[in-house]
Amino acid sequence: MNKKLPALLLISVFVVATCGLIYELIAGTLASYLLGDSVTQFSTIIGLYLFSMGIGSWLSKYFDKNILSWFIQIEILVGLVGGFSASILFLIFESIASFRVVLYGLVSLTGILVGLEIPLLMRILQNRFEFKDLVSKVFTFDYIGALLASLIFPLLLIPYLGLVKTAYLFGILNVSVALIVCISFVKEIKAAAYLRNASIISILVLAAGFIYADKITSFSENMAFSDTIIYSKSTPYQRIVLTKKNKVLRLFLNGNLQFSSDDEYRYHEALVHPALQALPNAKEILVLGGGDGLAVREILKYPHVKNITLIDLDHGMTSLFQSNQMLVKLNDSSLLSPKVKIVNTDAFSWVKAQHKKYDLIVIDFPDPSNYAVGKLYTNSFYKVMKGLLAPQGLVVVQSTSPYIAPKSFWTVNKTLESVDFKTVPYHNYVPSFGEWGYIMAMHPDHKYKKPQSYIPGLKFMSRETFDLMLHFPKDMAKAETEVNKLNNQILVKYFEDEWSAIL
Amino acid sequence: MSGRQSYKMALSSYIQRRSFLLRLGLVTGGILLDGCIKKIKSKKYNFSGTLNGPNAVAGHILRDKIKVPNPTNSRNVKILIVGSGISGLSAARWLEKNGETDFEILELEKHTGGNSHYGKNAVSSYPVGAHYTTIANTDDQLLLDFFKEIEVITHYQGELPYYNDYYLTFDPEERLLINGEWQEGLIPDFGVPQKDKDQIKQFLKEVETLKHTKGKDGKYAFNIPIANSSTDKIFTQLDQISFKSYLEEKRYNSPYLLWYLNYACKDDYGQKVDKISAWAGLHYFASRRGKAANSEDNAVLTWSKGNGWLAEKIAENLKTNITTSTVCYSINKTLGGMLQTWVYNTRTKQSSYIIAEKIILATPQYVNNKLLSHIRRPNFDYKKLSYSPWLIANITVDQLPNSKGMDLCWDNVAYNTPSVGYVNATHQNIDITNKEKVLTYYLPLCDFEPAIARLAAYSRTYEQWLDIILPELKYIHPEIDKAIKQIDLWVWGHGMISPNPELIFGKNLKEAQKSIDNKIYFAHTDLSGISIFEEAFHQGIRAAKQVLGK
Repeated sequence: MNKKLPALLLISVFVVATCGLIYELIAGTLASYLLGDSVTQFSTIIGLYLFSMGIGSWLSKYFDKNILSWFIQIEILVGLVGGFSASILFLIFESIASFRVVLYGLVSLTGILVGLEIPLLMRILQNRFEFKDLVSKVFTFDYIGALLASLIFPLLLIPYLGLVKTAYLFGILNVSVALIVCISFVKEIKAAAYLRNASIISILVLAAGFIYADKITSFSENMAFSDTIIYSKSTPYQRIVLTKKNKVLRLFLNGNLQFSSDDEYRYHEALVHPALQALPNAKEILVLGGGDGLAVREILKYPHVKNITLIDLDHGMTSLFQSNQMLVKLNDSSLLSPKVKIVNTDAFSWVKAQHKKYDLIVIDFPDPSNYAVGKLYTNSFYKVMKGLLAPQGLVVVQSTSPYIAPKSFWTVNKTLESVDFKTVPYHNYVPSFGEWGYIMAMHPDHKYKKPQSYIPGLKFMSRETFDLMLHFPKDMAKAETEVNKLNNQILVKYFEDEWSAIL
Repeated sequence: MSGRQSYKMALSSYIQRRSFLLRLGLVTGGILLDGCIKKIKSKKYNFSGTLNGPNAVAGHILRDKIKVPNPTNSRNVKILIVGSGISGLSAARWLEKNGETDFEILELEKHTGGNSHYGKNAVSSYPVGAHYTTIANTDDQLLLDFFKEIEVITHYQGELPYYNDYYLTFDPEERLLINGEWQEGLIPDFGVPQKDKDQIKQFLKEVETLKHTKGKDGKYAFNIPIANSSTDKIFTQLDQISFKSYLEEKRYNSPYLLWYLNYACKDDYGQKVDKISAWAGLHYFASRRGKAANSEDNAVLTWSKGNGWLAEKIAENLKTNITTSTVCYSINKTLGGMLQTWVYNTRTKQSSYIIAEKIILATPQYVNNKLLSHIRRPNFDYKKLSYSPWLIANITVDQLPNSKGMDLCWDNVAYNTPSVGYVNATHQNIDITNKEKVLTYYLPLCDFEPAIARLAAYSRTYEQWLDIILPELKYIHPEIDKAIKQIDLWVWGHGMISPNPELIFGKNLKEAQKSIDNKIYFAHTDLSGISIFEEAFHQGIRAAKQVLGK
């Protein structure tokens, strides 16, 4: 027996130990990224991982023959499971309901396999060293490996490679150990050729994963977002990014914040209830935009509402809010309600082709930050939209911030008035947005009566609160503006000027 | 003496002809040679497309290149209109409005519309010719009435017309690529030195004054239609010099201003400042006084079909009177004082006679020259009319690459490039879901004299045109070749009348506008001297009024 071989095996211990700890760190980090609450996540992941390693060590006694070839096989398996774990978790997170089951399943599996490694290695080495030497050497390399892993993981791997690539890299290292051992001990192993080929193929597969990591997950630790990105996707229309910090979810469309889960209720209650509470017989509701289903969630609190039609351009958006566990929980499964009909199409063309009347029309479009969206704030759009409003019905339009962008806000008001709507502008404070504005509009002969009370269970809206919301202090007072038209798109220009002044 | 004179003339015309043929030979020979080289090292493009133009068969028949069968049948109509471009359609509309329904419109193409023709693919309709007009001048009652009739004007707010919001060009309207960045608007500004800006301002101030200036006859110096302009000599003498000499005289020399004026003249007349008259050059800037309740002054109206939309609107009520795919190839007076027209149907391949009392020729004069080969038009010289050739490219892209500065507009022009830029044919769509676009690129072929440029244009292959337009497109949008899905080309040999000095107020056009024996009438923009929708519209009405004897 070659003298080099024991040394080689000891290096394997080192690599194996490093890899094992890296997988554990990846799982812990991922869990705290995706599920929040890092103390709980790290604690449970570490506990489960160590326990699984214990199971692995216990299982090692059932391996009697061909220990070297078992070791090689387990190395390959650890490399594959560990290498793909991060990708798998990211990919399923968006759609699967039982994310935790998969997460803990993968952690246990990795733990068991890693737990098998050291006992098997020790048994391979037992005839080559004295027992006290063996224990001392193996555990020394094991702990050095652990130290190295715990240092390079936060300092080098996460900043430069990211979670997904790190996982693939250590998967490759793991399988490389298998390959090297396989080649070095070729005489002592049965079916060495088969194991060698399996190792090579596994390395290639992992390398492919490493190279295409960005494409597979379209995930990047983008520094533009202060929170952790847990989901991102480019649909044909926009880039959807979901971030999470502690328990707070934030949705960004093309980099613009759409809601923050800790205060979105302020926005959506203010958007829906002042109008819907004043329409005790409202049956047919139209929601334009609002693919997150949060306005729909508020509307569904009224049992007299029969049908809600939601028009949102982006199927990627509505389907995300129909399938993702966290988001479905946030919108109370509103987009899965049988009362809700979702149409993914262009709102302007759709509205132009309709004839049915609606009791309430909720307009929750993105802010008018470009010429395409700007069309949906023009007098031409409001003219056709008005044709869909029942005589006693109400429209409510999210109208950007009257504090930061007063000209933009009052332009929406002026534009609504220009097509013969009577308007009721109001505003409230949404911490993550700042002061925010809404405009209710109705046919000129319809009189809006402020609701005397609100349905129970609301966190923000009340009769007294609404009185305050109707008042515009001097720093948000009505500004003289032009009508926003297809042939001037004045709103986009105001909006750009006013927001660029503060951002 | 007279013999010597005629010898001299013959010699000079011989020399002129020789030099013309020489230049023509050099240009087309070059194209032919280039074509052969191309064949050897053929380049492949990853997009498809077509090369089209007006129906060539008709042209060949008119020039006796193709023999057609003798007429086998005959039909009668009171008034025959030849040509279904805007002027022909406008004449027909006027007849019908005034109770005259016994008329037939002949069109050699499969479709009506003439130069306002449009195409269509899976992404959008798109113009292949005239593609916009401006809101009507406040004193142009006939045009205002027409716009009201087809709901381009929806109603009036007080005195002011309210134009249909969907037809007024959506914002953002125009941008110019200059000094590496897209600026808003077409008047050079970004990175332009102050002294050039001052000169531009001075010019614009001058034309603004001219816009409100009237002649001794109380008429505006520059008006639309041109026929309503003042005939005061102070202004009409501007028609005798070139726009270029006018600018030199006024010491306008800023390269930015001159670029802008050349762009404007290319855009409306297909020629640069040296070829057109000063009166025409100023008319572009000083003739529009349109107002609306819901837009700025002189706002632009456009459609994805371009002016094809307007042509279809007029043609809608005239469907039973229109005969397409029919070439009129000869007109003769009969002994009974009627007009016998020889027509050939390109679909059935049969010829017929049409016997009419009166004819309106809503065709360009170079066509009338062939049609009326048996009938004299005294004092009118066809050869003095010159027409600018154009290439139109409709470029379908799946997504326009981002570039620095202003976003994509309706009209997109690049400083100091051969073309007059491109318009986004999908600009007036309200639907924001489709990222695919059709860009209509306009290239006036004004580097050679029109006759040579025209024959050169006819001899180029599809690939040779791409070699001309792709470099410019890539200069404007470096990444565009990846986005191109299709390029369809259209060559207009006689795109528009070129208002050369002494055309508009010259004797020749006056003679051309005269009817022949109160039987044959003429309606076409080349009789106005500039090729814009409003002129065609009024030419048609003028001819129809003459026919109706009012």
